[in-house]
Amino acid sequence: MAEPLVDVREVSRRFGSFTAVHDVSLTVAPGEVVGLLGANGAGKTTLIRMLLGLLPPSSGTLHLFGAPPSRASRRRLGYVPQGLGLYDDLTVRENLAFVADAFGTPAAVPDDLAEVADALVGSIGLGRQRRLSFAAALAHEPALLVLDEPTSGVDPLARARLWDTVRDRAEAGVGVLVTTHYLQEAEQCDRLVLMSRGRAVAAGSEDDIVGATTAVAVRAERWQDAFTALDAAGVVVTLAGRDVRAVDADLGRVERVLAAAGVAARAQHVRATLEETMTALDRAAG
Amino acid sequence: MRAMILKEFRELRRDRRTVAMLVALPVVLLVVFGYAANFTIDSITTKAVGPGADQVAALAPDLFDVVATDPSATAADARAMVRDNEADVVVDTATTPPTAYVDGSSLFVAQTASAAFGRAGDAVHVEILFNPDLETSWVMVPALIGLILTFVGTIITSIGLVRERQTGTLEQLAVMPLRPADVIVGKIAPYFILASVDMALVTLLGVWIFHVPFEGNPLLLVLGGAVFLFVVLGIGVLISTASQTQGQAIQVALMTLLPQILLSGFIFPLQAMPAWIAAIGYCLPLTWFVQLSQGVMLRGAGLDSLWPAYVVLAVLATVVFTAAVLRFRRDLAPGRRAARAPHAPAHAQVRA
Repeated sequence: MAEPLVDVREVSRRFGSFTAVHDVSLTVAPGEVVGLLGANGAGKTTLIRMLLGLLPPSSGTLHLFGAPPSRASRRRLGYVPQGLGLYDDLTVRENLAFVADAFGTPAAVPDDLAEVADALVGSIGLGRQRRLSFAAALAHEPALLVLDEPTSGVDPLARARLWDTVRDRAEAGVGVLVTTHYLQEAEQCDRLVLMSRGRAVAAGSEDDIVGATTAVAVRAERWQDAFTALDAAGVVVTLAGRDVRAVDADLGRVERVLAAAGVAARAQHVRATLEETMTALDRAAG
Repeated sequence: MRAMILKEFRELRRDRRTVAMLVALPVVLLVVFGYAANFTIDSITTKAVGPGADQVAALAPDLFDVVATDPSATAADARAMVRDNEADVVVDTATTPPTAYVDGSSLFVAQTASAAFGRAGDAVHVEILFNPDLETSWVMVPALIGLILTFVGTIITSIGLVRERQTGTLEQLAVMPLRPADVIVGKIAPYFILASVDMALVTLLGVWIFHVPFEGNPLLLVLGGAVFLFVVLGIGVLISTASQTQGQAIQVALMTLLPQILLSGFIFPLQAMPAWIAAIGYCLPLTWFVQLSQGVMLRGAGLDSLWPAYVVLAVLATVVFTAAVLRFRRDLAPGRRAARAPHAPAHAQVRA
């Protein structure tokens, strides 16, 4: 197996008494798309900032391309921050020219941005701004792409286009580390790392992570009553359409709660979704 | 409306800088500037030369503080003493009546001295040097150059740098293969150049429109301006490292600008301030630049008399600019030293 582009071993980051990242390890290999999933505050961005060399770890080892983050490693890294990192008062062409100068590569405006090449970035739509941010990060043909919530606020079509770009690059051998809280995007990743309260609580493919985690699907005429009864009994419940789902719950207990509340319902074990698994893991981590 | 007022007070309570500006600043301004805002000159530094120098020292009214006498000095020496800022007034007793050379570049001192000599009738011949008609604009323009440089260097620079942080592009710069020095020089150089252009423009306009004389060596003003720019740019960078938003940067920049305007001798003469207020003034860079620019432009003073201003500005530039660069560098490359932590814990929860 090729040497990992990213090799994070037992890294922690503390801010005073608060531990934002706790003993996290992960690798990203060439051509691999690794998704870093987790709720807000799970520690994803802190981990990314450590990888980029913007924040030193409190403990643990963190290597990019076999060495600690450095100016040399940044040459091989493309980064799309959540806030885009673009200059609103420069045009699309000027933004790309600046990045190209910094990396010592020729500047070129991609075809899909040619129409707005001379428009100020602040005047173009968010979808195009994201596209530009991608173009700037990819212009120097990095070996590793770090994407922090890259499709945030983008419509589904534009999101699909951005993911096409990511997959294309991965097929060309680029390693990709992407944070997202759009769980639908998880299926685009080869491997997932789930973070909760600063810890990596699960890793692997979606199937690996969901594993044997189950939920109880409850179908009831008066679904609102079923929801209220289960919630009042301390069962973690979610809604999927008009189905009430109890995450990682015991079928017998769910049936007893519903019977005691006088709610006529049919309950059965089903395989948990990734979101439900995350909820269960989050509870377990807490 | 009640909800709005409550909300506003709650926000203000948590915005310590604004509270400081609203409560502490007016008190400080009143106390400090109350003492500083004084045009009345009580004491004029005076020297006496010529055969009757000692007699002048003995008989001079209290207003004239005779700090030295030199019976052997000539009229040319007396003029040089005023040019080199050794005294605001030098009385030459070799002539009849005695001639009082008054420094016209110290406007209020010169006005006070002239009025006092005027009351003495023909007993003293008064010659106002460097600004014979006591033109306010002649004194103000050299000082305004410093004020404009301070404005560009402090406010505009800090806003420009904070904008980079606020929009997240500073983080983007930090992950590019740029050395911190490249980023710092790249960010500051344009402001340095713009401020230099401003300085040249204001000086030329001052000479052209207000007929302000330029008696000294222009290179001395360029040198002083460059050193002064490093100080004010350094202050601008420092402010940017301590501010999260452009609003905060402007607040802090104004707090540094206001004392410089009021305590630098630019508006109120330092000679009229109590010693402790003047001491604060002498800690401010604009005070020294004003002395330097007025000295070079109006009096044609050279390095031999202006060196203290250059030394103070150079020390301030070194201290402030170094601190600014170090803090800015810390923002750009915080993980340099500790990118690899020495001790790893014994286990990992999940190996991804």
